[in-house]
Parts: sequence; C-alpha cells; structure tokens
Amino acid sequence: MGKNGYQKQAREIYQFISDHLYFNRPDMEIKGERFNSAILLSLLTALKRGKELIIGEPGLGKTTSAEYVCALVYQFPLGVIWGSEVSGHPEQTEEKIIGRPDLGKLNRGEEDVVWTNFSQMPAKIVDEINRLPETKQSMILDGVDRGNWEYLNEMIINDEYCLFATANYQDGGTNTIIAPLVDRFDVMVESRYPGANLSFLIAKDKRKDHALRHPKYEKDLYHILKSKTAYEKKIPRMEEVCNAYGEYIEEVLGVKPFQRQDRDQIRTEMESLEIELDASAFSRMLLAELSFCERYGQKRVVENCEEGCHYTGYLCHQIKNCASNRLPSSMKQYAQGLAWLLQDSEIDIEHMMAVVPYTLAHRVQWKDEILSQKERSKRDDPFPIFLAKEAVKAVSQRYREQSDHLKDALAVGSRIFQGEDLEPLEGDHPLYAEVKKDLDARKN
Amino acid sequence: MKPSAPPKKSPAKENWGSRNPFEEFKIFTPPTSDGDFPLDQIVQSTEAVMDRIRSGYEKLLEEEAKELVWMVQYNTIIKAYEVAEKYVREIDFTAEDIEDFCFALENTQKIAYLIPGPAGIYISALCNYAKEEEIALKLSELKTEINLLGFRLSRGKRLVIEGDTGDFTGIGLEGGELIVEGNAKNWTGAGMRGGKILVRKNIGLHTGEWMMGGEIYVGGRVRGLGNIVEGKVYERDKLVYPGKVRYPNLYY
Repeated sequence: MGKNGYQKQAREIYQFISDHLYFNRPDMEIKGERFNSAILLSLLTALKRGKELIIGEPGLGKTTSAEYVCALVYQFPLGVIWGSEVSGHPEQTEEKIIGRPDLGKLNRGEEDVVWTNFSQMPAKIVDEINRLPETKQSMILDGVDRGNWEYLNEMIINDEYCLFATANYQDGGTNTIIAPLVDRFDVMVESRYPGANLSFLIAKDKRKDHALRHPKYEKDLYHILKSKTAYEKKIPRMEEVCNAYGEYIEEVLGVKPFQRQDRDQIRTEMESLEIELDASAFSRMLLAELSFCERYGQKRVVENCEEGCHYTGYLCHQIKNCASNRLPSSMKQYAQGLAWLLQDSEIDIEHMMAVVPYTLAHRVQWKDEILSQKERSKRDDPFPIFLAKEAVKAVSQRYREQSDHLKDALAVGSRIFQGEDLEPLEGDHPLYAEVKKDLDARKN
Repeated sequence: MKPSAPPKKSPAKENWGSRNPFEEFKIFTPPTSDGDFPLDQIVQSTEAVMDRIRSGYEKLLEEEAKELVWMVQYNTIIKAYEVAEKYVREIDFTAEDIEDFCFALENTQKIAYLIPGPAGIYISALCNYAKEEEIALKLSELKTEINLLGFRLSRGKRLVIEGDTGDFTGIGLEGGELIVEGNAKNWTGAGMRGGKILVRKNIGLHTGEWMMGGEIYVGGRVRGLGNIVEGKVYERDKLVYPGKVRYPNLYY
C-alpha cells in the first residue's frame, strides 16, 4: 500500500487546500485522525468519480471548495472551471447546460452540435442546483448518473467525470430537488461556518485563489473546448495543457496535482481493496433496516407502518422511503476511497461508519414524528446529517450487540446456499428475515 | 451396466441461481459460545448486574439497620455512604441499571424493603460512581419519596430526577447539577459546597441549611430557608438569598 506515494500526494493536496485556500475546522474523526468533511469528501469525490451535493448557507465556500479540489485533482486552471460551471436558475435551458445547434451549419442545412464546456469537462460543478425548477432538473438526470450528454440525436460520453452541485437552504428562490436526482448524488456534505476567527482570516486574504489561475493555459483550454474537432480527440489535447498547468502549480505552489494516469492508477488501487466481514455485515444490517417491511414486503413511500408491527425498534419504523440500490454502491465507493487514503489494507467497519452518514443523509425521508421529536436536539450538523449520524450510531450499537450471531447467520446462509441441509439461524433483526427470504427465493 | 447414481442434490437446489449472496461469509467461524441468542446474553448480563446492585443494597440495609440510618444524623449518613461506596465500587453498571434498580425498589418482590434513607444514599453512590456524566431517573411512578438523592453529587455530573424527592435532597452537593422535575421536601441542599440544584416545583423548610456555596433555583415556592452560610437561592428567578430574608424559616 502506498508504494507509489499517491496517498501522500493526496494528503498534500488536502493539506494545501486546508492551509491556504479553504479555512475550516475539522469535523470528523477516523482512526484518530481529524478531517474537515467538506474537503475530505470532495477530494474522494474527485478521485472516485463520484457525485457530491454540497449544502450550506450562502457565502460559506460551497462552490469554492469544489473548485479548489477540481483544480488540484484534475489540473484545470480556476478560470476554466469558472467558465464551465452551470448555475441553477429558472431560465436555465438545455442549450446552456448541454449543447446547442451549430448555427452556421444549420444555415447551410446541416445539423451539428456545439457542446458546452460543462458537458465536455471531466470536473463539473452545478452551482445552486435547487434554483433549477423541478421540471428542468430532469434535463441533467442522465448526465449526472452516467456521464451521457445527449442533444439532437448526438451524444458524448464522459469517460472520466465527477460532479459537484451546491444547494442553499430553502428560501424564496429555491425548489425541492426531485427524489431521483437527489438519489443520484453519492454524498451530501455541509460547507459550514469556519468560526469567527477563521472567517476573519478569510476576509483578510481575499485573493488567495489567484494562485490557481493561469491566463495562458486557460486560453489554450478554452480554444480546445471550442474547437470543432471530435470530443474524443479533444481529450488528449486538453490533457497536455493540463499537465503543463500541473507542472506550473507544482513549481509555484509546491503541491503536485494528479495527472490522468495517476488518477487511473489510484482508482485501480482503490478497486483492489476488499470489504472486511464486519464492514459487510454492518452494511447489510443497515440496508435491511432501511428497506424492510414485514407486512408489505419492502418499504414504499406510499405505504404506512401498521399498528402492532413487531419491528418498531428499527429504522424501518422511522422512515418513509426505501433505500435505493445506489446507496450501497456509494457507501462502498467512499469507504474504499477512505481506506485507500488512510493506507489500510481493506475496508473495515470504521471506514464504513465514517462515510455512511454522508451517503445516507439526503436519501432518507424521515417520518414527521421523528422530525418533530429530534429537530430541537443539540447538534453541530445540519438536521439531515445529524439524523443520519444518529441512525448510524443506533445501528452500530445493534451491530456490536449481535455481530457474531449475525455473521454466523450469513455464514449458515452461505452453506445452505451451497446445498448443505441446515436451518437458517433465527434472530430478531430484519436481516435474519432477509436471509430467509433469499434462501426461500432460491429454493422455489 | 448399472446407471450411475444421480447426484445427491435435489432438483430444486440445482435450479438455484449461481450467485451466492452470502459467499464472503463462508469463511466465518463463530466464536465458541453456549448457544444462547445475543438477546439472551444481554438479558442475562443485565440480570447479573441487577442482582449485584440489589445484593449491595441489601447488605447496606443489614449493616446499617443497627445504626438506624434513616433517623438522620450527618455522621451516620457519611458512614452509610461509605458502606454503599464499598459495594458500588465493585459493580460494573450503567445509568440504565440505576433506573432499573429504582423501578425494582417498589415493583419486584426481590427487594424486601424500600427504606427512603438508605435507598437514597445507595442510589446517590451509584450515580456518583456511574461512568456516564448525565443520569436521568424516572421516579414519578414510585409511591415513596426517596430521601438523600444527589448526596455528594460531584462536579461534571448531572442528575435529572423525574418526579418528587423526599427530605435531604442534594445535601453535600460537590459541584454537580441536580434537577428535580417535581417537588423537593425539607433540608434540600443542606451543607452543599458548590454546584446547582434546580427544583421545578415547590421546596420545603430549612432549604440550604449550612450550605457553603452553589445555587438553588426553585420554580415554585420556597416554604422556608435554613441558616445559609454562603450561596444563592432563587425563587421564580428572584434572588431570595442573599437578600432581605435573613432568618431561617421565617420567609412565610
């Protein structure tokens, strides 16, 4: 682990952002190390090709934190990142987000698409996504999910891309982010107030991001993005300029950004990390609680819990919706990224527990009584992240109490699956019922 | 030639899908146990702790019966507390166990006597030796009001009592925070050295007798103050000591 020094390089980028660009306090602790969640998760998002929703009050660095990470992980000068951002507003159109017809060619009766910088860039930022009306949010669903951008029967597919979207808290100009779009974000994090003293420092050092600008490379990149060559051919040309910008950054700022092959290598290393048994069993336990319904087969947002249900002590009784299949994928992705960064040999339960609240917070719809019960609790986190952290705490407590029995139940499940004549283990948790359901389904 | 024997697997099993969703767990071997379910183990361990707490209380009653600790004198209280400490120190318990014990005082046959004085001393020792900094006790369902709760509650501890308390609540408080969500009787906060007592409803006579520091807040009425050496007493946010009222039990 860590033989090629990529982890050190990633930590140097984290440290550089934290020391010089985005001042904030650490707010999460993993294995004795303290991190700021906004920078850490943004860094993992950029490295893992993830999708991150950054929430917070206006002016607290939601967009800038993402910009710094994109500049240093993808080697794009700030000017290019600014020029490729999409801002959410009610008049936003597909032509401004994805692409427009080439008007010159259209006059000659030919159809061709001029792709926007946003759709072509690997590091994408959507500013104030919740100012997009609900009807227009669906325009970016596919792009957000798969990196496919389609216009006039033409399509470009981003091979490598990550996406950051910022959202303000509800005010007169905001809309609700539609559930399918929310679910496509891997994590949600808050860019929070850094405290009076750090805030004062930020005010003193206003032009701190100037170091990440480079007008010449910005011009070169704009030129490539605007050129009429095929998208696939633009990528290597852009990489050349990005590498030159990366060298400039290393020389001037002393921090080395990642090149494309570095990022690919990092992803290969991350993918090779396996999930340890406890992390797997804990995740299954959590997923069971977020999806199980004894009466109706699974949680559905349109169905309510029945009186006298046996499973009132679990999360299924506190929530309205069902966990999507994207949740375990996000959990694994980010836990894997974290394990890699900490140079651990596998993904353990601590990695999992550290990232799960951020993967869960935006996806869970809590029942009204739970919201009113807990809204006045003393807390440091925004309400959804606080609720998710509490939920993870409760599940981990349950997991500690019965981890061996639970793992045994899964092991017995495996043996039954392989044909042994055994009885599935009994237990109170929904996961035991889920194991039985899986075995029954295979039998019939 | 005999046809070869069919494989032992049943046809139904052969139809199973190829992907085993539990495969990674096939290497798991459970630690040797007596075959109990985890819940049984939890219940058993909770019962074992409760037995030890109960037995400590019974021993305290036995040892102190001769001294008639509930005929309160300060030196007998201290002695009883030392005995309680001796038993409590050896038990590994949680705040939840204290609450269970309070409930068991009246609601099980296993505890022969609920004597408000020793019970209060014993509960105070449990609270002072608990790992948790904040302890909440629901006493509103008890018919008997327990005396001496919050005895010597130390700095950093917060004890919240739901219900009424008896005499000598929070005496000798040593910097902790005691909240009574009900009424407290006479001699509350007597001899306290620091900390805060908050009684949401009314408080009895001799409040703060010989108190040396700290604050007593009363949400309702104070029937009478004791001889206070130092400290503050508030009645409905109004400072009543130090103030015009200097004489014990002459407030009303």
